[in-house]
Amino acid sequence: MPDRRHVLIAEDEALAAMAIEDFLSRKGYRVTLAGDGQEAVERLRDDPADVVITDLRMPRLDGRGLIREVRGMSPTLPVIVMTGYLAEDSDNDALTNGTWRPLEILRKPVSPQAILDTVVRMLDDDA
Amino acid sequence: MPGGPVSIFDTSNFLPHGICLLWQPELLALHVSSDVLTGLAYYSIPLALVYFVRKRRDVAFSWVFWLFAAFILACGTTHFFGVWTLWNPDYGLQGIVKATTATVSVLTAVALWLLMPRALALPSPTQLRIANHALHREIEERRQAEERYASFFNNLAESLFVIAVRADGTFIIDTINPAHARATGLDPARICGRPVDEVLPPDTAAHVKARYTECVAAGRPIDYEETLDLPNGRRTWHTVLVPVRDAHGHVVQLLGSARDVTERKALQEELVQASKLATLGTLAAGMAHEMSQPLNIIRIWAENALSRLRDGDLDQGRIDKVLTLIGEQTDRMGKIIDHMRTFSRRDGGGTQLFDPLESVRSAVEMVQNQYALDGITVDADLDEKTCMVRGRPFQLEQVVLNLLSNARDAILDRRDAGGQAGRIQVGFLVNGARQTACIAVTDDGGGIDEAVLSRIFDPFFTTKEVGKGTGLGLSIGYGIVEAMRGRIDAVNLDHGDGRRGVRFTITLPVTRPSLRDVEMAHA
Repeated sequence: MPDRRHVLIAEDEALAAMAIEDFLSRKGYRVTLAGDGQEAVERLRDDPADVVITDLRMPRLDGRGLIREVRGMSPTLPVIVMTGYLAEDSDNDALTNGTWRPLEILRKPVSPQAILDTVVRMLDDDA
Repeated sequence: MPGGPVSIFDTSNFLPHGICLLWQPELLALHVSSDVLTGLAYYSIPLALVYFVRKRRDVAFSWVFWLFAAFILACGTTHFFGVWTLWNPDYGLQGIVKATTATVSVLTAVALWLLMPRALALPSPTQLRIANHALHREIEERRQAEERYASFFNNLAESLFVIAVRADGTFIIDTINPAHARATGLDPARICGRPVDEVLPPDTAAHVKARYTECVAAGRPIDYEETLDLPNGRRTWHTVLVPVRDAHGHVVQLLGSARDVTERKALQEELVQASKLATLGTLAAGMAHEMSQPLNIIRIWAENALSRLRDGDLDQGRIDKVLTLIGEQTDRMGKIIDHMRTFSRRDGGGTQLFDPLESVRSAVEMVQNQYALDGITVDADLDEKTCMVRGRPFQLEQVVLNLLSNARDAILDRRDAGGQAGRIQVGFLVNGARQTACIAVTDDGGGIDEAVLSRIFDPFFTTKEVGKGTGLGLSIGYGIVEAMRGRIDAVNLDHGDGRRGVRFTITLPVTRPSLRDVEMAHA
């Protein structure tokens, strides 16, 4: 399937990333993994994605830094943020005030089905 | 019968003395009356002397008075004999009486001269009066001093007590001051002068006796904290005992002062707990993140497996892998929870011997991953030598965590201000020669203003913005380290490559573990 949608996952916890990759792959998506924000930016340059899924706390370049870079590349690329701690997104920054839309926040522990539903919805909105 | 001793008593050859006076009545009357009066006077003097000596039994050299009495009595007798021989020529007997008088007189005269230096040494009434006066003055001064000390003893807010130490080792409550009576609820009238065993509850008595014995054995002042059940209830005291020795060097008394520190202790504990909660608060963010990771993995793997199961795409190998992984992740969560639990519980009871390295390692492990996410490296260079310090392991861990948390805050602030920072070094070194263990936490967060460096251990002093720090962390840390008889210092440090920071050093005295403690630790 040459027109499979491409999902980039930036997550430093490899075990979590692997299972999401497996799930989304089985649902027909092409998945690329990046261990931190910096790696994600590099991969996006080589191989643009249809959706970016990212953790917030990561070494080198964190989630916010990555989204900033993504928005530099594309103002419309859907971004899904997975976060484990409430305070991280309560700072009333670009993450929550709509600046970085289209953007959805999922709380850890996330359900793979919820990720899939969000991906589908965001891509449909985009379409 | 001429010659011989008897012949002198033979009066037949003599004439009475009155013949010499030619029996002239005027002359006889003059002699008789003078001799009789003198004799009577002489006889009355010994009576007065004897009366005086008998009344004044304290008089010095009383035998001299007896000698005087005998001498004067003898003199008196010679006068009466003078009258007798006017009519009766008993000149032999008169001679004997005179000889006796002479003997007693000579004895008295010699004794008097022999006695003279000692008699002169006797204080005169004037001297006595002066001495008496001085004595009165001294008594008055002493009375005033005693009043002053009694006033101290009775009015001082400090609880004071005096314990008498009997030769058989019994401790008697000698006296307690009103402040002590008020503070303890003990009734001085009921307990003073009685053995400790009889007036205090058995447990309390056993406890204080052990301390008294310790002070007597040590032979020097000791001070300690103790919690006692007394009529006023269960209170904690800071007590100082000072031994008092007699001339032979035996401890015969213990002077005690006690300060009720119940409220202060409670407050201190509250502060420690409050600071712990504050530390917990700052750690909660990191903890939530730490917990959400394994939880996230479990959920994703479980749901993914379920999805595969429903799609008919789940083989045995994958089930094995998923379940193993879930097990591992719950294990990881359990460890985090354990850590939080041990950290947040109150360190009840007494101190223990423990290896400070464990506390340091535990604190480092707790934050290492979390700080890495902020791009902060925690480098630990830990001396593996085993040593033991006395204290509470989790309190020490709390102190180290607090230092790490401060270091991180400093680094983040430094970065916000556009500086380069991101490395925390943790060092642990055992110095066998000096019997100390050193824990050093060094950051590159820019350092602390020299002007405030001396105040950073003050309670409620903080350099952080409002809402970020309670200002209790370091002061509590200071208290904890001090309670372990250690020291905590801070110095600014130039790393040499343009980076600057602070180094906090905790120095703790190392205790050689006693066999019993080692056995206990291994039990």
